[in-house]
Amino acid sequence: MIIENEYPPYFEWLLAAGINPGALWIWLLTVFCLLVVGLLASFIVLTARHGPAKAGDLIFKALAGVANDVVHTSPRRVYALARLAVQEAIRRRVLVGFMLFILILLFAGWFLDPGRTDPAKLYLSFVINATSYLVLFLALVLSAFSLPADLQNKTIYTIVTKPVRPAEVVLGRTLGFAAVCTGLLVVMGVLSYAFVVRTLDHTHSLTADDLAPKAPTENGTVPPNRTGTTARHRHEVKSDQIKRLAEEGQAVTETEQGHYHEITAVTRDGVTEYRLGPPLGQLKARVPVRGTLSFRDRGGKPAEKGINVGNEWMYHSYIEGGTPAAGIWRFSGVTRDHFPNGVVLEMAIRVFRSFKGVVDQPILGSITLRNPDTRVEHLLENFQAKEYAVDQHLVPLELDNLEDPQGPKIDLFGELVSSDGELEVEIRCLERAQFYGLAQPSVYLLRREGTPWVNFAKGYVAIWLQMVLVTAFGVMWSTFLNGPVALLATLGSMVGGFFVTFLQSLALNRSLGGGTFESLIRIGQQKNLTEQLEQNFTSAVAVGLDKVTRIPLFVVSRVLPNLRELNDVQYVADGYDISADLLAIHLTTGLGYFIPVLLLGFLFFKLREVAK
Amino acid sequence: MMQSQAVALEAPPGAAQPTGTDVIIETRNLSKIYRDFWGRQKVRALKALDLEVRRGEIFGLLGPNGSGKTTTIKLLLGLLFPTSGQALVFGKDASDVTKNERIGYLPEESYLYRFLNAEETLDFYGRLFDMPPEVRRQRTADLIHLVKLDWAKRRQLKEYSKGMTRRIGLAQALINDPELIVLDEPTTGLDPIGCREMKDLILELRDRGKTVLMCSHLLADVQDVCDRIAILHQGELKELGRVDSLLKIRDVTEIRASGLSDAAKEEIKSVIARHSGQLVSMDNPTSTLEELFLSIVQDSEARPGRRARVEQ
Amino acid sequence: MNRASFIRKLIYLLLILALLVPLSYFSQPATVAVGNQPNAGDHAGGKLARMRAEYGISQANLGEIDPAGETIKLATLGLRGVAANLLWEKANTAKMKEDWEGVQATLDQLAKLEPHFISVWRYQAWNVSYNIAVEFDDYHQRYFWIKEGIKYLQRGSRYNELEPRLIYDVGLFTAHKIGVADEKHQYRELFRIDDDEEFPDHNRQLRSQDRRDNWLVGQEYFEKAIALVEDRGASIHAMNPFLFFSQPAMCQIDYAIALAEDGVFEEKGRVAWTDADDRWMKFGLRDMPTSDNLIIHLAEFEAVQERKAKAIEDLDALAPDLRDKMVAEKRNKLSPEEQAALNTPLASRTEQEHQLAADASMRMLVRHDEFADRVDEAHRTKARELASEATRLEILASVIQRDRDVVNFNYWRNRCKMEKTEPALEARRLMHQAKADYDEARLAQARQKYEDAFKHWRKTIDEFPMFVDDAVGGDAIPEALAGYADVLKQLDEPFPRDFVLKDVLFAAMRRNPMALPLDYLRASFEDAPPGPEMPRGQP
Repeated sequence: MIIENEYPPYFEWLLAAGINPGALWIWLLTVFCLLVVGLLASFIVLTARHGPAKAGDLIFKALAGVANDVVHTSPRRVYALARLAVQEAIRRRVLVGFMLFILILLFAGWFLDPGRTDPAKLYLSFVINATSYLVLFLALVLSAFSLPADLQNKTIYTIVTKPVRPAEVVLGRTLGFAAVCTGLLVVMGVLSYAFVVRTLDHTHSLTADDLAPKAPTENGTVPPNRTGTTARHRHEVKSDQIKRLAEEGQAVTETEQGHYHEITAVTRDGVTEYRLGPPLGQLKARVPVRGTLSFRDRGGKPAEKGINVGNEWMYHSYIEGGTPAAGIWRFSGVTRDHFPNGVVLEMAIRVFRSFKGVVDQPILGSITLRNPDTRVEHLLENFQAKEYAVDQHLVPLELDNLEDPQGPKIDLFGELVSSDGELEVEIRCLERAQFYGLAQPSVYLLRREGTPWVNFAKGYVAIWLQMVLVTAFGVMWSTFLNGPVALLATLGSMVGGFFVTFLQSLALNRSLGGGTFESLIRIGQQKNLTEQLEQNFTSAVAVGLDKVTRIPLFVVSRVLPNLRELNDVQYVADGYDISADLLAIHLTTGLGYFIPVLLLGFLFFKLREVAK
Repeated sequence: MMQSQAVALEAPPGAAQPTGTDVIIETRNLSKIYRDFWGRQKVRALKALDLEVRRGEIFGLLGPNGSGKTTTIKLLLGLLFPTSGQALVFGKDASDVTKNERIGYLPEESYLYRFLNAEETLDFYGRLFDMPPEVRRQRTADLIHLVKLDWAKRRQLKEYSKGMTRRIGLAQALINDPELIVLDEPTTGLDPIGCREMKDLILELRDRGKTVLMCSHLLADVQDVCDRIAILHQGELKELGRVDSLLKIRDVTEIRASGLSDAAKEEIKSVIARHSGQLVSMDNPTSTLEELFLSIVQDSEARPGRRARVEQ
Repeated sequence: MNRASFIRKLIYLLLILALLVPLSYFSQPATVAVGNQPNAGDHAGGKLARMRAEYGISQANLGEIDPAGETIKLATLGLRGVAANLLWEKANTAKMKEDWEGVQATLDQLAKLEPHFISVWRYQAWNVSYNIAVEFDDYHQRYFWIKEGIKYLQRGSRYNELEPRLIYDVGLFTAHKIGVADEKHQYRELFRIDDDEEFPDHNRQLRSQDRRDNWLVGQEYFEKAIALVEDRGASIHAMNPFLFFSQPAMCQIDYAIALAEDGVFEEKGRVAWTDADDRWMKFGLRDMPTSDNLIIHLAEFEAVQERKAKAIEDLDALAPDLRDKMVAEKRNKLSPEEQAALNTPLASRTEQEHQLAADASMRMLVRHDEFADRVDEAHRTKARELASEATRLEILASVIQRDRDVVNFNYWRNRCKMEKTEPALEARRLMHQAKADYDEARLAQARQKYEDAFKHWRKTIDEFPMFVDDAVGGDAIPEALAGYADVLKQLDEPFPRDFVLKDVLFAAMRRNPMALPLDYLRASFEDAPPGPEMPRGQP
C-alpha cells in the first residue's frame, strides 16, 4: 500500500527523534504564539476603548474566569447538559440521518461496481467514507445550530441563570453531540461491516465441462479452465489443482479480485459435483513489521535515494538492474517470538522498463538477507517482479546452503538475524537497463494476520475523531455566531481541514498557478497554470493581494486540523492493521485540537451576552 | 363603606413591611447601551439606575414596554453586561455564577425545553444545581405538587397550555429553594384564576421569607402584591417607593358605597362641601396607580431627564 | 364536513391536475420498440423526449434510466460543473499517484455526473487505454486496462446514442491499440480468447472463431459509426471525413496484413485482400464532401485528369499555335534578369535566379480563359466553355490529390491490388515458411523457399514496380532478404551476383541498412549503395 507520510513510533513522534522536532513542542509553540498574538490583539483593542489599565484588568479577568470555570466544572452539571444535548439531538431527528445511511447502503449497488479489480477495497472505502461524510454532516448541523437555537428560543436563559458555568454549557453540548454521533457511528459501523461481508460473499458454479481440457486456438493458445461468472469475475483453476481435485477431492482456485475459493468435489450416485466455498482472503488486517529503507547506487556506494525515472510523483525511487544498485531495508524486532515459523516477507514493487525487452517475461530480481552485525549474507531467492499485487516470500527458519547443498543448513535466527533482532533485506533488479521502483512501505515482514473487524473498528476511531473535532468546532463557532453563520464557519473549518495541505501550498506559494487572485485572473483570461501572466496593473494587483492573503492563509493552515491525515480508511481498505502507534498519534493529535478549541469556546461563551 | 385611601390592597397576613434591612440587590449607576453590529450606539436602555432591594420584600419594577425593566433584570442575572455601573446580587457581581445558587428566575415566557416532561425538566434543572439524586427527586415531587401539575407530570411540555407552562416555569425557578426570586412578567398570559393563584403564590413566598423581584407592565399585579415599586420610563427611574405611600401622594378621595338612598348621597355631598371639597365622581373608579403611572409618563415626555424623588 | 375546507381541497386538486397537463406534455416518454424499429403504435413522446431524441442524448429507453447518475446530478444541487471539475482533478491526482482503482471509480462518477460531455468520455478513455495501461509491466494487465478504456467508451455511447465519435473511438482502440502495439501478438491472442461478457458487445457466442479478430471487430464499430452518420444524420464534428470513412477499409487491410504476420495465407489471405481491395475501391467511389464544397470521389483522379487533358486538347485544336504564340508574348514581357534566369540551366541557378525563374514561369502560364478570349470569334463560345471545363477539372484534380494524401489512397489501392495477386500471396507464404525453416535450422529448405519466394516477388514487382522500394509495406521483405543472406552466410556461399531482386535489395540497403549484413552483401555487389555513416562516439 501507499503510505506517503509515515509516522515514527508514538513517543518519538511526540517528543522528537532524528529530524522530527516532536509534535508536542510544535503544539506548545503554536499555542504559545496564538496566545501571545491573541492577548496582544485584545490588549490593543481594549486599550483603545478603555485605556491600558482597564484593558489589562479585563483580559486578566476573562482568563481567570475561564480558568476558574474549568476548575469548578461539575461532572453532574456537564452530564445533565450533555444528556439534554442528546435528547435534543434525538428530538431533532438524527434518525433521519441514520435512515439516510441505511438508504445509502441499500442502494450502494447502484454506485459500486463489483467487477472492479479489488472490490473489497472499493466497498470498504465506500462504507467508511459514506459513514464519515454522513456523521460529519450530522455533527456539523447538530453542533452549529444547537446553541444559536437555544439563544434564539431563550431556553438558554433558564440555564445560565442557574449556577452553570459557561464552560459547562460548551462542554456539555460538545460531549452530548459527540455521544449521539458516537452511538450512531457504532450502529453504522456494525451495519457497514455486515454490509461489506454480505455483499462480498458469493460463490461460483463449476462443472465438469469447466474442468475438462480445452481445445487450443488457431495459434495454439489453450484457454484456461475457469469457474462460472459471479460478480463479474471468474477464477482460473490451474491444472495442478484439477489434478488435486481428482485425487483428493479438495483444491483451491486462483486468486481473482483479491480472493480465492476452496473447491470440494462431491461424488453422489456416480456423478461428481463441484462446490465452491465462500471467498477467502478478501478482508485482511496484515500486521507488518516495517523497516527503514536505504539505497545503494549503481556504483555500489550508499545513497539516500534511487533515481527518478521521470515520474511527477516522487514516491517510488528506482534502482537500475544489472548494477550493484539496491534497496536495503533494515528491520528491527525480528525475534523468534514474533516469527516462530519463519519470516514472511511481503513486497509490492514497481517495474520500469527502459526498453520493452521480452514482452511476456517479468523482470527478474533477487532478495538477499543480511545480518547487519556480522555482514553474513544469504541469497534467499531470485524472483519475478509482480506489480500491484502483494508478493509473498517465506524465509524458513533453516535455509538451504546454496553454495554447498550438502553442507549444514543456515539458521535464520542464529546467523542472519543479529543478536538484537535486526535483519537487512536487500532487493536488487537483475536485468540490465530495467528498473525497480521502491518505497519504504514496499517491503515489510508480515508479523501476523490481524482480525479484520477489529481493524475496521480502528478505522472507525479515526472517523470518530474527525467527528469529535467537527463537533467541537461547531460548538465553538456557535458560541458567538448565529446558526447559519456558525454552520458556514464550521463547514469552512471542516473543508479547510480536509484541504490543509492545499492551503499550506497556497500559503507557502508552492501552488502552481499562483494564489487565489492570480488564479481568478487566469480563469478569466483562460490561461493555464504555467503560462506567464501578462505584466499589467491587474496582474500586479492580483499578485500583490495574493502576497497579503498568504499571511492569514499561513495561520489558518497551521491552525486547522488536517482531517485527511486523521483518516485511516486507506489502511482498512488495503487490508493493513492500523497500528497502536498510529492510533495513539491520531488520538493525541485530536486531543491537541480538541482542548484549545474547547477553551476558545469557553472564552467566547463567557464573553458574550446571553440575552439581547 | 368608606375608605380614606384608594389602595385596594388587601393587607396580606404577615408583614407588609420589609423584614430586615440587609440588601439583596443593589445597583449603582447601572447603565446599558445597546449597540449594533458596528458598535454604534442604538438604544440607551437604562440610564444610571440606582436601586436597592432588601431581604424579604416584594419589589416591583413597573414601566411600559421598552422602559428598561427587563433589561434591569437581565443585567442583574448576568444575562447582559452593564455598559457602566454595577449590579450586585447578594453582594456579588452579577456576572458571578455562584450567586445563581440562591436565585430562582422565571423568565417572561417560560423558556423551557419542550421535548422534556415536567419531571424531566425539574430533574434537569436540579442537576444544574448539582443536587444529589434523592434531593432532586424530593424537590421535583414537592414542586410539581405545589404548582398542581401532578396529573400532567409525564406529559411533554409542548402539550402544556400556557398556564401550565407558566406553572412549571415557576416550579423550575423554585427548584433550588432560592432566597431571591426574580419574576419577569409573572402573570402574562394567565387567566384571572391563574393570575390570582400566581399572586397568592408570590405572597406566600414572601411570607416564607423569600425576596421577590418582579417586573410587570400590569399595574394590577404590582398593586396587588408589591411592597415597593420602581417606575421606569425610557430607561430612567421615575418613581421609587412604597406602594402605599406612593399612592397616598394624591389628595384624592374616592368614595365607593352601595345601598345608599338619594338622600344619603345628598348628605354625603353636603359633608364634602362642608369640608370645602368637591365631589369628583361617584362612578366606577379608575386605578390610581394607573393614573400615577400615566402622569409620570406624560411628565417624563414633557420634561425628559427628570429623575425620581427617592422616598424611603 | 367543513365546506370551506372542502372547496379548498377541491381547488388544490384542480391545481394539481392543471399542473399535470404541462407535465405530461413535457415528459411523456417515447414508446419506441427495441431496436429502434418504428411500429404503428409508436409515439414520439413529450417535448422532453423529443428534444432528447433531437439532440441524441437519449438515456436509452425507459427502464434503462441510470438512477445513480440521476441521484448524483440531483445531489450536486446545480453545482454539477464544479463537482465535475473537482472529480476531474481527483482523477488526475489519482492517476499521478498510481491509484488506478481510484481513477476508475472517479471516472465512473464523472461519467454519471456529465454523461453527455463527449470530451470527458473520449479523453479519459484514451487516458485509461493509452496512458494508464502502459504503466503496468505485465502485458495481461496492460490488456485489461486497454479494455477498461474501451468499455468506458462503450458506456459513453450508451448514454449518447447519436454520437459517432465514441463508437469510432471504440473501433479505433479495438483495432489500433490492440493491433499496432509492440505486444500486438500477445494482445491479439488475448483478444481472440477473451470471453469477457461485457467487452466489446460483439456477441462472442455468435461470432465464429475466425471473426474474433480485433481488426474485424474494430471494423464493425467503424461501420456502426458510419451508419450513424449516414442513416441518422449524426455529425462527426471536426474529425477528418477521409480518415473517418476510410477506417473500415483500412481495418480490412490491417487485418489482411496481420493474417500474413500470423502466418495465415492461402484462401483466407486471398479473401482478406480481395475484400480489402473491394472496400478500398468502394471508399474511393464514395461521395465525399470537401471543405471546398465539392463532392469528390478519390478513385476518380485519373479520370478527371484525362478529361482535363481532353478539354485542353480540344481547346488547343480550336486555335492551333495560339498557345505557343501566347507563351512567346509573355516571355517577351519578362524583364531581362528574369529571362536570363530562365535561360540559366536549372542546376547552375543561384538562389535569386531560382526565385526569379519561378516567378517568371508563373507569369508565363497561359490561363484557359485568357486563351479562350483570343480564339477566333467563330469558336470563342465553344472555347470559353472548354476553358471553364478545363479550369473546373483542374481544381477538382488538385482537391482530389490533396485529400488522397490524407489517407494515402494511391498506395493502399495499389497495395490491395498487388497483395491479392497469386504471386504476391505465394511469395509471402514462402517467405513465412522459409523463416520457419531457418528458425528450425533447415538451411537448405529455407534457401530453396526463399529463392522461390523471390521469384514470385519478382513477378509481383514487375507488375507493380512502385513496390520496389516499399517504405510502408512492413518488414517482411527486408526480413526475408536478411534471412536469405544469413542462410547463405551459414552455408558459406557468396550472395548471388545475379540476384533476382537486386533492385529491391539495393532499395532496402539504402533505406534500412542496419537490418542487413552490409559487408557481406558488398562482397558480391561493387555497385551496392554505400552504407550509412556511423555517428561518431558510438560503438
